[in-house]
Amino acid sequence: MREPISPTGLDFRPVSPKLVTVRLLERGLGSLLTVAVASLPLVLSLAGPWRGFPGWLAWGILLLTVLITLWRLALIPRQVRAIGYAERDDDLLIRGGIFFQRVMVVPYGRMQYVDVSVGPVERAFGLSSIKLHTASASTNAVLAGLPAAEAARLREQLSARGEAKLAGL
Amino acid sequence: MSTVSGPRSPNDEAQGLPPDKVFGQGAGFRTDSVDEWHRVHAVSPLVRGWLAVVALIFIFGRNSFDDVLASVRSGGRQSPAGAPAWLILLILGAAVVVFGIAFFLSWYYTRYRVTNDHVRVNSGVIFRQQRQARIDRVQAIDVVQPLLARIFALAELKFEVADAGKSAMKLSFLRLDEAQRLRAAILARASGMSVDPRQPSAAPQAPERPVLALTPGRVAGATLLSGISVAALVLCAAAIGVLIATGSPSILAVFIPLALAVAAAYWKAFTTDCNFRVAQSPDGVRLRYGMLDTRAQTIPPGRVQAVGITQSPWWRPAGWYRVHINVAGYGSDHRDSGARTVVLPAGTEAEVMTILGLIFPDPGTADPLGVFRAGLRGKGPAYGFIHSPPRARLLDPLAWRRNGYRFTDTALLCRHGVFFRRLQVVPHERTQSLSLFQGPLMRRLGLADFELHSTAGPVRPVVHHLDLATAQDLFTGQAARAATARRIGRPDRWLEESKHEQ
Repeated sequence: MREPISPTGLDFRPVSPKLVTVRLLERGLGSLLTVAVASLPLVLSLAGPWRGFPGWLAWGILLLTVLITLWRLALIPRQVRAIGYAERDDDLLIRGGIFFQRVMVVPYGRMQYVDVSVGPVERAFGLSSIKLHTASASTNAVLAGLPAAEAARLREQLSARGEAKLAGL
Repeated sequence: MSTVSGPRSPNDEAQGLPPDKVFGQGAGFRTDSVDEWHRVHAVSPLVRGWLAVVALIFIFGRNSFDDVLASVRSGGRQSPAGAPAWLILLILGAAVVVFGIAFFLSWYYTRYRVTNDHVRVNSGVIFRQQRQARIDRVQAIDVVQPLLARIFALAELKFEVADAGKSAMKLSFLRLDEAQRLRAAILARASGMSVDPRQPSAAPQAPERPVLALTPGRVAGATLLSGISVAALVLCAAAIGVLIATGSPSILAVFIPLALAVAAAYWKAFTTDCNFRVAQSPDGVRLRYGMLDTRAQTIPPGRVQAVGITQSPWWRPAGWYRVHINVAGYGSDHRDSGARTVVLPAGTEAEVMTILGLIFPDPGTADPLGVFRAGLRGKGPAYGFIHSPPRARLLDPLAWRRNGYRFTDTALLCRHGVFFRRLQVVPHERTQSLSLFQGPLMRRLGLADFELHSTAGPVRPVVHHLDLATAQDLFTGQAARAATARRIGRPDRWLEESKHEQ
């Protein structure tokens, strides 16, 4: 694996490994639905209504969907390990992604507000997501999979630092 | 009479302004005390609702006209299907009364007030709304005059705060001079300008200095040499092709609506940019434009978040550029087809430099003309631009020497494009957030995209396909420069600072 694009010499903190389970559950449920839809041609052609439908195509669609789904599920652990954040004096860095890597820096003084959200699956594992909003709509700074206590600490920390460094627009 | 010095309020340590900051003595002009409320002009419901009135008259008028025709054709007898005339009149009368009452109530319940610190608007009959906005949060003020309002010498005032395109306060309509006084009052308060304590409600109107005006010829030329003409040419070619292929001219009727759309687009582009003038005042940059509907925009200093300069290939022979800005109050602005975010519809290089000088008084470099010229037209590493490495040729076969950036002491310049040339300028202190991006192909080539996030608007600064190490340098360096610039940043009230530049 090549080195990440984030600036070197920074101590990025990882998010909770429990996020792997959360994502597997969430995406797994969605994948079940996708696979069910993809298996429709096969079921229909075997059961009767679509008797003319070529069998190899029906099997192919199902197989391809299952393969892609499995691959996406298999990627999750690496994706979660790629997520990291680093608090600096003036700003917060967030990185993520394996094939499509992105690293973002959000200055504390530019934050308009901070969202902490918890979904049902996340709650079961004691995790929360945090999202930073600036005046720019392009700032898409989401940090998922933080332990609830860490999320609360980060929120307080960000708010306090935002207050201290507050600049206008 | 009114001298502009002395403390503005007890908790506000306003310093006396130096003599060159004393503006011309404006005529009677004030902000409101606590219990003073105003209403918009009494004609305004009509000006706002004239389309509804016209539609009503048109629909009922046509029906009764048909009835009259039918009765004439049937030899004077009342047509059995048509409604009797008294019913039509009754419906029309009822509609007028209902609309009239609705207009009157909405007018009666809309009240506004401009105090020293806030603007307040109360509106709504059943669902009441009270809105209050802090004056020093103003991002821009527009005075808009649609054609009908111009006939009545009325104007609409729009007070913009940073909420991406929705007007915080929209007063439609006021008398034109009243709107201008209100604008001056708001801007004077917003600037933090100190006001004579003995006459707290009097404030002078800031003087204006005309900077440039576009000739009708330029606007017409720019309209002709635009994407509309490309569309028109494609349309003509398609029409000729269809004619040759089918041989029947009657099929050309299909193209009539399209031709009308092209004509309308030409008309709209020309009338919008017509009479484009730029002036400078201590309140900010003032833009005026429009032929039938006119608009005067005021953008106070420091409210411009980013500037984008573009040149399409068909403007290259003429050497014209178009300048867009991001202002937090304007948002991405789809409703007005983007006209509000244009600070120069078609200008020469010298005019572009003039505008840039108004928006960013300090370019942060010793040779601004050379640097910006290199950004607008240049290629390669001249004037300190850092561009994509040669291995980016796979992704940008033509533009790799053009895609690049350069920072000055005050701003970051991003340039791209060979056919459609673009230069984006963002002051360091207006940086919201930054990001680096790398896809699989870029990863193989060791490249990365750099993005700078500005407020919503037409300018989205980005540098494509930089060398990874260069991009990382830019990323960390720009974050540090933005942090430094924020610390020494200018306050919201731009005249409060004594070392404010003219």
